[in-house]
Amino acid sequence: MELYDILFWVLSAIAVSCALGVILSRNPVNSVLFLILTFFAISGHYVLMNAQFLAIVNIIVYAGAIMVLFLFVIMLMNLNADVEPQKGQLVQLAGVISGGILFLVVLASIKTAKAEIMDKTSTDIGLISNLGKVLFKEYVLPFEISSVLFLSAMIGAIVIGKKEEVKTSATAKMEHVSE
Amino acid sequence: MSLFLEISFSAMANGLHNWLAGSISNATLVSVTEMAIAGVSLLLFLVPLCFFLGYMERKVAAFMQIRLGPNRVGPKGTLQIVADTVKLLFKEGLTPNASDKFLFNLAPIIVVVTSMLAMAPIAFAKNFQIWDINIGVLYVSAISSLAVIGILMAGWSSYNKYSLLGAMRSGAQIVSYELSVGLSLISIVILTGSLRMSDIVASQADGWWIIKGHIPVIISFVIFLIASTAEINRAPFDLAEAEQELTAGFHTEYSGMKFAMFLLAEYINLFIVSAIAATLFLGGWMPFHLGNWSFFNNVMDYIPGSLWFMGKTFLIIFIIMQFRWTFPRLRVDQLLTLEWKYLLPISMVNVIIVTMMAIFGWHL
Amino acid sequence: MKAIIATTVFGVIMMFAGLWVNDKKSIAGLATFLFAALLGVTIWDLTTTSVNSPKSLFNDMLRSEHYSLWFNTIMTGCSLLYVLLMGKEVQKVGKYVSEYFALIFFILCGLYLLSMYNNLLMMFIGIEILSIPQYILAGSDKRNLKSSEASLKYFLMGAFSTGILLMGITLLYGAARTFNITEMVTLMHSDALNPLALAGILFIMIAFSFKVSAAPMHMWTPDVYDGSPTVFTAFMATVVKSAAFFAFLRLFQVSFNSLSEHWVMVLAIITAATLLVGNVTAVFQQSVKRMLAYSSIAQAGFMLFAVLAVNAVAWQGIIIYAVAYSVATIGIFAVLVKLKDYTYDGFNGLAQREPLLAFVTTIFLFSLAGIPLTGGFMAKYYVLLAVVQQGQLMWLVIFALLMAAISVYYYFRVIIAMYFKAGTPEISSPVTGGDKFMLVVTCALVILLGVLPQLFLTKV
Repeated sequence: MELYDILFWVLSAIAVSCALGVILSRNPVNSVLFLILTFFAISGHYVLMNAQFLAIVNIIVYAGAIMVLFLFVIMLMNLNADVEPQKGQLVQLAGVISGGILFLVVLASIKTAKAEIMDKTSTDIGLISNLGKVLFKEYVLPFEISSVLFLSAMIGAIVIGKKEEVKTSATAKMEHVSE
Repeated sequence: MSLFLEISFSAMANGLHNWLAGSISNATLVSVTEMAIAGVSLLLFLVPLCFFLGYMERKVAAFMQIRLGPNRVGPKGTLQIVADTVKLLFKEGLTPNASDKFLFNLAPIIVVVTSMLAMAPIAFAKNFQIWDINIGVLYVSAISSLAVIGILMAGWSSYNKYSLLGAMRSGAQIVSYELSVGLSLISIVILTGSLRMSDIVASQADGWWIIKGHIPVIISFVIFLIASTAEINRAPFDLAEAEQELTAGFHTEYSGMKFAMFLLAEYINLFIVSAIAATLFLGGWMPFHLGNWSFFNNVMDYIPGSLWFMGKTFLIIFIIMQFRWTFPRLRVDQLLTLEWKYLLPISMVNVIIVTMMAIFGWHL
Repeated sequence: MKAIIATTVFGVIMMFAGLWVNDKKSIAGLATFLFAALLGVTIWDLTTTSVNSPKSLFNDMLRSEHYSLWFNTIMTGCSLLYVLLMGKEVQKVGKYVSEYFALIFFILCGLYLLSMYNNLLMMFIGIEILSIPQYILAGSDKRNLKSSEASLKYFLMGAFSTGILLMGITLLYGAARTFNITEMVTLMHSDALNPLALAGILFIMIAFSFKVSAAPMHMWTPDVYDGSPTVFTAFMATVVKSAAFFAFLRLFQVSFNSLSEHWVMVLAIITAATLLVGNVTAVFQQSVKRMLAYSSIAQAGFMLFAVLAVNAVAWQGIIIYAVAYSVATIGIFAVLVKLKDYTYDGFNGLAQREPLLAFVTTIFLFSLAGIPLTGGFMAKYYVLLAVVQQGQLMWLVIFALLMAAISVYYYFRVIIAMYFKAGTPEISSPVTGGDKFMLVVTCALVILLGVLPQLFLTKV
């Protein structure tokens, strides 16, 4: 076994077990920390594929920025395990069954899939110069169009985030009968 | 450029590599051993460095306030920091009962490890680098932005309102000032056309960027200094541990060895920030050259590269330490105003100017 | 392509208008003008593209086919109609009027991408551009807790379904090694099929069902449509939903057509469930707004027929259904925002107080129920025709007709309340002559659609 393979399996094990940790841990802060570890393991995979730029961007964007904000919000709200509403037994059972069926379907499709072996030697597509060329030639339209997406998200931050003069008693009256 | 120190550093590394490759047949084992040796020597470098920085901090403070500073333990007080360390080592490491014990103990380790990881691509001398990764600059900014996770963990797991508040402030601060740091780094990356540390240093063989790049680079240098001071939570941006308001901020509950680790991380971060500034703006290990004055240039060449690097780094450390005793601490709103309303717009415009400079070749 | 650029620029213009213009009325006027200009640009796009040779743009990221451009034009027309009918009401939602209009322009950008995409990446970006402004618009009434709840619910559900969509795209890419939906076709044959593709199709189908609020994935719809400010519900339920359907149809028609034996039954069951849930639950609603939310689920069931039928009539069906449904629903919402009380009782005696309003509402409801001589009838006719031409799933067609009969009950409850029950409906804002004129125009459109649907159809 080469170093490459050892690293691959170790990273994969970390990624999968931490991803499980995200959904299994009861404390939301622990979930976020597990998620950060998952991102690290995935970045490790990128490095193995000689895509250091992607690896680092993955860390900067997800582990460094988004997850920090996540942690921030979760710590501010001080969510704990006991705050989480408990679902009824029946709902849990239904969830387990339908999730299990979906899992079976995906598993069956992956099991019979034609798996392609990645070429370890000659992949330098992840290097920043190649990536830049692809991004600005072939994928220039999605690259530019996504600015519209960010623009609307920024407008959203302003529209939703900024304070508006609140009418206190009006809220209840404006509700309309429903259900 | 035939100098004993320079040769000896890279030659030492090469010799070690050849010797290992000769004596161990398994290539995997060779690289693992090399990694271990690099790690150990990094530790051996960092601990005395932090001793020295601690001593320096006190002496600079004393110098700024016209007093003597530590002068009892050892000659001129040089052993004071050793005494402090011994004290910290022997203190009891308390873990609050209500805390999340695993995270509480993990946090200082994460903080130290992230700051040590950021040392990897720093070029100490010619061909003397732990990992000359092709995206060195990005790597450093990515890794150093992770320290905030450790800080948030420390603040949250302590189960103490001061700790939590300190961690929150630190988080907001680091996430916002990261942008300015990144933008000022990018201006040099644009001029160099490479993210690799060794390329950036090599591009300054005919003059440092701060001289070649005219005013825009000086602006980004200043912005880098301000923003990185904020990113490493040092005064005047030390809101995360503002003692008058928050006791000791996120490390209120820490004592003994775990507290020492936070201190260690702080000094390592200080060193890294200064080393990055020295590499990007002041030419790293490149000696100072002046146009066609071959005699002057030859004299400069006789000073080893590692000394140049250390000299520049410590110059910047000295400047950052002076900040601490020059400016009063900012309020939270002032802190965010400074970043979002001043530094960020300025650095964005600056990046555009630098890009034009690089395209039209206006730099020297 | 010109339309994409134009709508982005117009959105930015609206953002800056908020900075420089303080008067809400002139902002709305500017927005109306820009929507009209946008309609002009889409028509320009349409006329400069020949019917038979689709233009491939930017390395085949987009493909401007004639029916896509036709859809763009019609939906831009619907948006113009929407602004003309409800521009006044948008001003009342909150402080950031120009931003709301900017977001609507960005939504249209997403719509254009979704009608023209030829690459899964563009589809993904289009769906995101379509969705994110909606989450914001849903929460724009910050004084109302329900609006915030709607926004959050919509956002969480939308983010979740986007995750599923991405998962599907990943699996599909793993199987086909391309994002290009026309190149993909060569790999989509039963003999050379990678099973990963089937899982991918399943995930994508589920994600689209989320976006178009098809039955098992419809849970968010009533709360979101009910909680959001009524003006924005009108837009979400019509133009946006049509765009999601168009994208759904485009992907399944172009790429997965040859695999239809694998997914048609799943989609048929989803369709049946959608029709059942939407129509039956709508019967029990007390609020007209909430009833309209359920009715939009029911209408989604009919639109799914177009996706089920993988033939040329399906394109005509989706376009005519989109426009008929959108116009009628926008009309009803335009009447609804004039009222204070959204329950059925709030409509009591509307015929006495505002006979014109009651009359146009009746026509719109006729259209939604699918009564002949209105647009809704022709729309239902075309989508069902598409399936009948395929010659299978006849049980589903019969079931749909049954459900259409049920829908008559709850639509007619409103008409009964307006004409046969006594009461004094409270009007929140005065009905001006301009409003009446626009409502009559909308009403005329609905009838025109029912009489001469060919006007709105294009050769496919």
